[in-house]
Amino acid sequence: MARPDGGLIQETNLQYYAGAQIIYTSVNLTRIYTFTFNTSLSLGSATSWNPGDPDFGLNNFRIYTSPNGISNWTEFITTFTLTVGSTGSVITLGVAQPLGTYVKVQLKADAVQNNYGGYEYIKLKDIINNFMVAYVGQDKLIPNVRRSDVIFHAKRGLQEFSYDTLKSIKAQELSVPPSLSIIIPQDYVNYVKMSWVDTLGIKHTIYPTQLTSSPSESPVQDQAGNLVQDNFAENVDGTSQTNTRWQGANTRLITGAWNQQDLNNGLLLDWWGENWGYNGYYGQRYGLDPVTTQTNGWFNIDEKQGTINFSSDLTGKLVMLEYISDGLAYDLDTRLPKMAEEAMYAHLNHAILSTRANTQEYIVRRYKQERYAKLRNTKIRLSNVKLDEIVQVMRNKSKWIKS
Amino acid sequence: MAINVDTVYKTVLLILNQQQRGYMTPDEFNKVGTQVQLNIFERYADDLNQQYRMPQNDTNYANRVKNIEDNLQFFQRTGATVYVGPHFTLTPTDIYRLGSVIFNGTELTQYSQRSEVTQLLLSPLTKPTNDFPVYLYEQDLLYLYPTTIQAGVTISYLKKPADIKWTYSIGTFGQFQYDENGAGAQGFELNVSEQTNVITRILAYAGVIINDPTIIQVASQEIAQDEQNSKM
Repeated sequence: MARPDGGLIQETNLQYYAGAQIIYTSVNLTRIYTFTFNTSLSLGSATSWNPGDPDFGLNNFRIYTSPNGISNWTEFITTFTLTVGSTGSVITLGVAQPLGTYVKVQLKADAVQNNYGGYEYIKLKDIINNFMVAYVGQDKLIPNVRRSDVIFHAKRGLQEFSYDTLKSIKAQELSVPPSLSIIIPQDYVNYVKMSWVDTLGIKHTIYPTQLTSSPSESPVQDQAGNLVQDNFAENVDGTSQTNTRWQGANTRLITGAWNQQDLNNGLLLDWWGENWGYNGYYGQRYGLDPVTTQTNGWFNIDEKQGTINFSSDLTGKLVMLEYISDGLAYDLDTRLPKMAEEAMYAHLNHAILSTRANTQEYIVRRYKQERYAKLRNTKIRLSNVKLDEIVQVMRNKSKWIKS
Repeated sequence: MAINVDTVYKTVLLILNQQQRGYMTPDEFNKVGTQVQLNIFERYADDLNQQYRMPQNDTNYANRVKNIEDNLQFFQRTGATVYVGPHFTLTPTDIYRLGSVIFNGTELTQYSQRSEVTQLLLSPLTKPTNDFPVYLYEQDLLYLYPTTIQAGVTISYLKKPADIKWTYSIGTFGQFQYDENGAGAQGFELNVSEQTNVITRILAYAGVIINDPTIIQVASQEIAQDEQNSKM
């Protein structure tokens, strides 16, 4: 396998696959070792080298030493310091290592996993630096620009791309509690799909409902209908009756999927008003409304409470919430698929030139078109259409389409 | 290569003495030389700015931007900083103009005014981070944001040209003899390509000192023509 040799790959196979780097001590009594993972090493605190330190669990790595580099790895739990610089993560051990010692840093599982597939992406920081090098300077369309402006436009671009161009990669698997509501994820911007998962692990789409909505306020009223205020002169807010009723609703009354229990409860009557249904039941539904005639349940979003509420038939079900964020929530998110790199440069060019005074309009238009074309290209790339997969889907065409 | 101070002094003396116009003492030469060097040095930034706005060629020796940058490289330095309290003090004492502030060896920090920093800090998108820090430069002190940056800051700068000192010893006839190893000896730091320019400008000042309008006129014309040629 090729070793990093000046290309864009910066890690050895050991670093990438196993999350480990081993350095041989070639000078007696060495203390300083520089590790070059893509992931910066981090300590929970300055004293978290100590396994007894409360922040020890926040370290994203462990250090081991061995006399032969193969076995007898001993964890190094004596004091050490960490400095992260441009050359890598520099660890200064409190105890100097003798000649021939192998020092290994092993990333923890989370850190190793977060790095997997990282080559698919480019960091926003690199995008900004690349842009400053390639598009800004003497004899270029943008002779100078403040880097904070580029940062702003890049971050805004990443947000916009996240909303409608980039792949949605965030999903939470949750169980619907008896309260029928779950809290919206911290980095949630919009949902992509809500589904419940059956025993085979197959997803069934849960649709948002227009049948109900959660009120933003449910002020308490007195007998005369006037709103009641508290000691602080604020309206007293009560529990939403709409939410309560929706949570307690028998969804079969909406879907029409009656069962024996409904029959026993006298919800179904025949022409004679009797519930034994000799000749079938009548009057409950004329025709079917596809919006409501499904048994996957519904959800609605309570913007005020910041919760997602489910219909009562989903109690205890396993649900999958796929959603989009804006790409800026966490450091790990601030990266862009390489498929979208060119579109981001075009976005930056357009954003900067169109907001700059005295730029000729034809230049702005040129970059507007370029941005549009490259973004479209990115969408096509990221939609991941592969010929074999399309062919497989199209094989279905030999089947009859029943109406 | 920098200009040899002795060559300049002797050439100046030669021209001045040719028609018994006068003489320039080492002390006068040192002061005038320092002044001339500063004059030329301070012009570089403006010349560079002017040339940046003009189309350049891609030749080795006739690219004016490159030539001016060549002249400036003699004064380009890097230096350390020390964190004291909320700011960094600059270790070098000969700073003429601060260039870049570098964090962790590679990250270029952005210069900002205080009002701008306040705005940047207010915006969640542009708030300075370790990856994209900004700095204030006030009272010869650097203030870096985010304030968690407390080490690893270096600077690049243009140094101020040192004062010229043509050092000498007294010869057997009581004459001044150049002693390049004399105490405090300091030659010109300008590029050798500026030698003619330096001599002409010193002559112009010398004309003032010895009150000779001819020298002043000739030197001034020479300087003007030279400047015109270099900027056309």
